[in-house]
Amino acid sequence: MSDQTTDSEKIIPTTCASHCGGTCLLKVHVKDRVITRTETDDGEEPQLRACLRGRALRQRVYSEDRILYPLKRIGMRGEGKFERISWDEATEKVAFEYKRVKDAHGALSFLYLSLAGDLGSLHTVNSLTRALSLAGGFSSWWAATSFHGGMFASHYTYGTVYCSNERADLLNSRLIIMWGWNPAATIGGTNTSWYLAQAKEQGTKIIVVDPVYTDSAATFADEWIPMLPGTDAAMLIAMAYVMITESLQDQKFIDTYSIGFEKFKDYVLGKEDGTPKTPSWAEAITKVPALTIENLAREYATEKPAAFMAGIGPGRTAYGEQYHRAAITLATMTGNVGIPGGDAAARAWESVLGGYPYPIFFGAALPPTPNPVDSTEPAFMFHENYPHIHYTKVADAILKGKEGGYPADYKSAFFVNTNYLVSLPNINKILKALHKLEFIAILEQFMTPTVKYADIVLPSSTYVEREDIAIGVGAGYYGFQNKIIDPRGESKPHNDIGKLLAEKLGVEDYDNNESDEDRLRMVAELAQIPDYDAFKKKGIYRIPRDEPYVAFKEQIEDPENNPFLTPSGKIEIFSKQIEEMGKDNLPPIPKYIEPWEGPNDPLAKRYPIQLVTNHFKRRANAQFETMPWLRELVPQVLTLNAADAKARDIVNGDMVRVFNDRGETILPVEVTHRIMPGVANLPQGAWYEPDKKGIDRSGSANVLTKDAHSPAGSFPYNSVLVQIGKLVTV
Amino acid sequence: MQLGFYFDQTRCVGCYTCCVACKDWHDISPGPVHWRKVTCIEKGEFPTLFVAYLSTSCHHCETPACAKACPVEAIEKREADGIVLVNQETCVGSEVCGGLCKEACPYDAPQYGDEENAKMQKCDLCLERWSEGKKPICVESCPTRAMDAGLFDELKTKYGEAIEAAGHNYFTEVAPYIILKPKVSPFDI
Repeated sequence: MSDQTTDSEKIIPTTCASHCGGTCLLKVHVKDRVITRTETDDGEEPQLRACLRGRALRQRVYSEDRILYPLKRIGMRGEGKFERISWDEATEKVAFEYKRVKDAHGALSFLYLSLAGDLGSLHTVNSLTRALSLAGGFSSWWAATSFHGGMFASHYTYGTVYCSNERADLLNSRLIIMWGWNPAATIGGTNTSWYLAQAKEQGTKIIVVDPVYTDSAATFADEWIPMLPGTDAAMLIAMAYVMITESLQDQKFIDTYSIGFEKFKDYVLGKEDGTPKTPSWAEAITKVPALTIENLAREYATEKPAAFMAGIGPGRTAYGEQYHRAAITLATMTGNVGIPGGDAAARAWESVLGGYPYPIFFGAALPPTPNPVDSTEPAFMFHENYPHIHYTKVADAILKGKEGGYPADYKSAFFVNTNYLVSLPNINKILKALHKLEFIAILEQFMTPTVKYADIVLPSSTYVEREDIAIGVGAGYYGFQNKIIDPRGESKPHNDIGKLLAEKLGVEDYDNNESDEDRLRMVAELAQIPDYDAFKKKGIYRIPRDEPYVAFKEQIEDPENNPFLTPSGKIEIFSKQIEEMGKDNLPPIPKYIEPWEGPNDPLAKRYPIQLVTNHFKRRANAQFETMPWLRELVPQVLTLNAADAKARDIVNGDMVRVFNDRGETILPVEVTHRIMPGVANLPQGAWYEPDKKGIDRSGSANVLTKDAHSPAGSFPYNSVLVQIGKLVTV
Repeated sequence: MQLGFYFDQTRCVGCYTCCVACKDWHDISPGPVHWRKVTCIEKGEFPTLFVAYLSTSCHHCETPACAKACPVEAIEKREADGIVLVNQETCVGSEVCGGLCKEACPYDAPQYGDEENAKMQKCDLCLERWSEGKKPICVESCPTRAMDAGLFDELKTKYGEAIEAAGHNYFTEVAPYIILKPKVSPFDI
C-alpha cells in the first residue's frame, strides 16, 4: 500500500476532497504514525496538483482547534467551555434528546442541519441522516447554499444538473467568457487554471465579466468588463437583444434543440412589456457601456466554439436563477451547447457532480435513507420540500415556529458538517435562534464558532484518518482516500458515529451487516474501477477517454434518439414547469428582475455600497480558516474602491466598520482599484468573533447578509447593501 | 555546473501554493520566515489595471551579496551545483552580526526566525530532493506549472533569456540565477 523510502517513513497517497472545488492527489509522508510532509501528484500529466489548502494538510490534521474527545458544555452557550465525556454518554444524550422531542412534540420538532463538508462516498452526512431517519425522521433544510440558482436553472432548462464539460475541453474553445468565475481562488475543478493558462497561450481570447478584478481576471483576461452585482441578467438579455436585432443567433440550432425562443424574443424586443432590452437599457442598470455589451454579444455569437463559463457567485443573488437561465439561453442562441469547445453555461462549478456523468454520486457508499416525514421526493433539493425549511429561513423558523407559519415548533437540533453560524445569512438572527433551542448536538472536526453553542459535541475524524472514495472534479477520475494515521484522540469517522448513534436510538438495521470495506468495494464496482487494490495503492483511477467529455454531445449529434430530459425533450427557454409553479418573480422565460438590495433599492440611500462576499483563496467556505500557514499569507480585509474610500476619508489599512440594519463587522480595509466604485468585497467564511459589544471583529460576512431567498431558492450572499465608515476609537 | 529557477509570471495566479508547500516540506513554522515569497504588483486605475504576481526565493547568485557580507564566512556557494548554502553552525546569529547578509541581499532572501539571536536560513533549492531525482517542492507544487528548476544553461535553452519581470530587477553585481517569462505591463510600454 505504500512506497518504502526509509525504514520507518512511508509515502501514502490520498485525495484531498475538501470543499474547495477540486479533488487533488496528495502523497503523504508518514513516520511513526505521524504525518511529516506532503507532496502532490508527480506522475504523468495531467497531474492532479493540490492547491495551498491541500498542502496545509499537516496543520489541518494537527490543528489546535481539532476536537479530540466527545464534549459536554459546562459554560454558557457560546462561551466555549466544555468537559470531556465518553462516546457512550455523548451518543446516549443525543439519542435521549431526540426521543424526548419526538415523543413530546413529534419528529418535526427535531431539526437536523447539515452541509457537505469533505466530499467522500462513505463518511458523509448520510450516516447521521440514516440513523435519524430510521429512528423516525426530522425536520431539515432544502436548497443548495452555493449554487441553488444554477441547479434550478439547469434542472428546468436542460432537465439535468449534469451540464459541464471536462476542463480539458477549454483547450478547444476560441473564446472563453468567464462570468463571475474566479477559479484562481475557487479552483473550479483541479487543473482549471492550468487549462486556462494553456488556452490563453494558444491564442484563445478570454473575457472576464466581474465586479472584481479577480486573480483570474488579472491572469487570464484579455478584457475585463466590470458590472454591478446582481444585474447580470440585464446584461445577458441585452446581449440577446443585440444578437436578435442583428440576426446573429443560430436559428437552426434554436429551432432544432429548444422551445420557447419566440416568447423570450418578444420579451427581449419589448413586445411583452413595452421595454426593448437594448444595450442602453442595460447600461443604465449594469454600468457596462452599451458598446461593450454590443461587442461582447457579437463576439459570443460569432466566435465559435465559445465557452461561457457561468460562475455561481452571480447566482447567489436576489433573483439568481434568472442569471443562470439567461446564460443558458445565450449558450443555446449561439449554438454552443453540446459541442467541443463550447459550454452549456449552466454553472461552472459542479462540486459533488464533478463535471462528469459518474455512475455514482457523493455519498454513494451509503445512499440517502428516506426521511419518514418527507412529503415530496427529495430530488436533490431543486425545489421546496415541505415540511423542510429553506436554509436561509431556519433561524426564523426556530424563533417563530408554527406561529410564524412554519410546520413545527423546533425544540432541539443536531448539526452535522455545518458551520451553521458562520455559513448562513444573518448571523445575529442565527445567534438568537441558537439561544432559543433547548438542546444542540454538533458533529464537527474543529472547534468552530458554531460548536461553541453545542450542548454535546461529537468529534469526527478527517479524511486521512479513515478510508473513503472521492469523485474527481473537472475531469473523470476517482481518488482513493487511504487511512494514513489513526483517528486523533477519540475522534471517529462518520459512519462509526452513525452506527453508535443508531444503536442508542434503538435502530436495528443501520448497516445490514455490511462493513465499510464492503461498501467501498461496492462503490468501486459501481464506478467500474477494474482493480480495487491497485486503485487503493495508486490513490487514483482515471476513467479512460479519448477526448474530453462534453455535456449534451449526444443530444446535439442525434436529437431524435437522445432527447433532453425535460418534459418537451428540448432545451426549455420557456418552461411550463416553472410557469405552473405560479410564483411571483419566477417567470417561465428568463427575465431581469430588479434585485432587492441592489443599486436601485430605496435602502441604498442609507446603505449605498453593494457588498459581494467572494470565496477566498485561502479558505473553502469556512474550512481552513485557522491554519496558520494559510492565515499569514493573505489577510482578511474588506476591499474598497479608491474613490469610495476617498469619499469616506479612508486610507489603505484603516480599520473600518461595515454595517447595515442586520449587523456590523470591523476589519482592516484594502483600498484598491481592483473593484468597481460602489462595490465592496468581503470574503465569506471568516469565523465570527464578537467583541464585548457583540460586534464581529473577524470580518465574518454573514453578519451583513439577508436571511431571505429568491423565488427559486437562491441564496442572496451577493445581494447586500451596506455602509462603510472609518472606525473612530474614542 | 549551476542550478537555477525559472518563473513564468504570465501563468502565476497568486495562489501561494508554492509558499505553503515550501513551509511544509522544510518544516517552517508560521511566522517571519519565508524561504519563498509571492508578491503582488498592481498598477493603474480603475478600470485600466495591471496586476502581476512574482514568486521568488533565493536566486543562488553568481556573486552572492550575502556571502560577501557575512563576517564569519558561514555562507558558501557550492562548486558542484552553484547552490548557495548557509552553515548554521558557523552563523553567529542576527543579533551578533546585525543581520548583514539580509541587509546585503537585494532580494531579501536571507530569513530570520523570531527566536533570540536567530541563525540565518533560506532556500536551499531543495538540495536533498535533487539526489532523489526530484525538483524543488515549489516547482512540483505549482498548479499552473509556472515554475521550473534545473541546470541554468538548459533553462535558458528551454525558456529564453529574460532576466527581468514585473517586480524583479536583475542586479549585475550579484547575477541571480533565475530566468523569467515576464508579464508585460501596458503602463511600461
